[in-house]
Amino acid sequence: MDDLWAITLWGLKTWLYLLLASIMVPAMFGFSLGVSETYMTILVKTLEWATLKMRKNTEGHALKASRSSSLIQRGNDSMEKEFEELRRSRPKQPLGGDFTFSDSFYFTRQGIESIVEDEVTQRFSSEELVSWNLLTRTNNDFHYISLKLTLVYGLGVLIRYCILAPLRITLATIGLSWLVIGTSAVGLLPNGRIKTWLSEWVHLMCYRICARGLSAAIQYHNKENRPRKGGICVANHTSPIDIVILCNDGCYAMVGQIHGGLMGVLQRAMVRSCPHVWFERAEMKDRHLVTKRLTDHVNDKTKLPILIFPEGTCVNNTSVMMFKKGSFEIGGTIYPVAIKYDLKFGDAFWNSSKYNMVSYLLRMMTSWALVCDVWYLPPMHQQEDEDAVRFANRVKSAIAHQGGLLDLQWDGGLKRAKVKESFKEEQQKQYSSMVVGDDSSNSD
Amino acid sequence: MGALNSLPDEPQYVGLAEKTGFSFEQIGILHKRFKQLSNNGETLRREDFNTIPDLLCNPIRSEIIEAFFDRRNFRQTDAVGTVHEIGFGEFLLVMSHFRPPSIRLDDEQKEVIRMEKLRFLFNMHDTDNDGTITLEEYRHVVEELLSRSGALGKETAKGIADAAMLEVASISMGHMEPDEFYEGITFEHFNKLLKEFEVESRMNIRFMNMDTTTLCK
Repeated sequence: MDDLWAITLWGLKTWLYLLLASIMVPAMFGFSLGVSETYMTILVKTLEWATLKMRKNTEGHALKASRSSSLIQRGNDSMEKEFEELRRSRPKQPLGGDFTFSDSFYFTRQGIESIVEDEVTQRFSSEELVSWNLLTRTNNDFHYISLKLTLVYGLGVLIRYCILAPLRITLATIGLSWLVIGTSAVGLLPNGRIKTWLSEWVHLMCYRICARGLSAAIQYHNKENRPRKGGICVANHTSPIDIVILCNDGCYAMVGQIHGGLMGVLQRAMVRSCPHVWFERAEMKDRHLVTKRLTDHVNDKTKLPILIFPEGTCVNNTSVMMFKKGSFEIGGTIYPVAIKYDLKFGDAFWNSSKYNMVSYLLRMMTSWALVCDVWYLPPMHQQEDEDAVRFANRVKSAIAHQGGLLDLQWDGGLKRAKVKESFKEEQQKQYSSMVVGDDSSNSD
Repeated sequence: MGALNSLPDEPQYVGLAEKTGFSFEQIGILHKRFKQLSNNGETLRREDFNTIPDLLCNPIRSEIIEAFFDRRNFRQTDAVGTVHEIGFGEFLLVMSHFRPPSIRLDDEQKEVIRMEKLRFLFNMHDTDNDGTITLEEYRHVVEELLSRSGALGKETAKGIADAAMLEVASISMGHMEPDEFYEGITFEHFNKLLKEFEVESRMNIRFMNMDTTTLCK
């Protein structure tokens, strides 16, 4: 019995040392041993093989739909043009009031089209893959294709759940606990250059470990545009992991609400070593207070750039939704960053209505890997004649353009709330101005 | 869509495909949309349509939503009244009024489809199912379309509706005596009014990149 214990202990010890050597040390010092690269190449080859296998098998079935971003072709013409077309077939000139019954058909068709597909609702569910990546969760119509494929899938499950997941969980735990310990330790030092340097090093190290903990393969582009001190970094939001992704390559000051529990411990530890901006729940409601604190932080040129996600909520990485103007009213230089995940290896989108944080993290840890591209865009300033909303839209377009995402005007808050009343009346106003505008002779 | 395109409920889809004329692929898409709107439930209610922001901006949304629950659109002869909730079959039946036309139709079939679409549009506005769109019902449509928000006064809207109705009356009935009362637009008048209107091409949903022929096995 004792022997068994001794052996298990010995096994655990070697496992930990191996871990330390091959993953943590490189993470701490920022170089790579090439293990993850080999892993990724093997993964890509396997997935390609799997896709080919399935293509061969489904040849007998009908044509498949290529993944287009929309299901139906909507009328893209403006309301005026559409009505011109509709009214072409009118029998004769109107007696008064440029209104005819067929006008209601335009709205009917619009309505039916929005019932079949609408721009907003589909942004809040996960994007669909064209080919399967050996994870049942991404394929809705999973069924048996061939023995070989099922074996590979089974092997994949084994690897993911029994080898990768425990490894990743260990890494994540080590990373987070080291973050707490390290930042608290650094916090004991007196303020000065050494403290700042040490704090940055500790932060970077821990985030690198966490990133390894998710098997994240991140490609940074245009590093010369990296956010500098005293600036504001804005990015599109897909999941809480965005923070790990961005902090892997630079140090930022976080902005957010103080939570209780584990998150709260993390937040309080982090703020000891370098200033982050944490708000109490009550303070968040007071917009002036929020803006003031952020402005103070930005104006202090020694403090790290703040990281803000102006969408306010997680979107599924196919589009960028409306940016809230609050962050753009602070002044200062805006450094936009575009983040795009590659869906083949794991879906990073956090559907907060479907999964809570813990099950989301578990899903992340049992995916193959997390591959993403980060583009640093050149800094932008608010122009003289631009108001905050237009500036926000300009930044949003730049991010959407770089990341290859759709630029949408809709508010991410629609995930939970209803459309504002003012939007509902828009169409009516536009239509009625068309009808009455044409008719100047109608008198009653 | 995954590369695995076989649909799980094929026997059921065959029946629906025959009744509605949609292809299997289109039925699959609409089924997914149905599940999304009904929150993975079996039936849809009126409230479920309120989750579509685009639809909420549409002035005649209540008529459109009502059309889904109107028994007259369920292709059962002489069924009237409304229901509280619909299943996927009824959803598809209502949608089939807007299915894209197949190219291989002869003139008679085209006429049938045209009548169906016109009947659907007529039913949408003939809310009390008396077979005519009365002045009241017409005024209601005009009011909805021309902004309840106050940009257009009620009197103006009423005036426009009356004028338009007069136009319809003169087209359908020719010359009327001063004391003759025009009860409302019957389906024949409706048809006559919209003779030139290309209902078949304007009133359908255009699916992209889809093979619209049904699967052959």
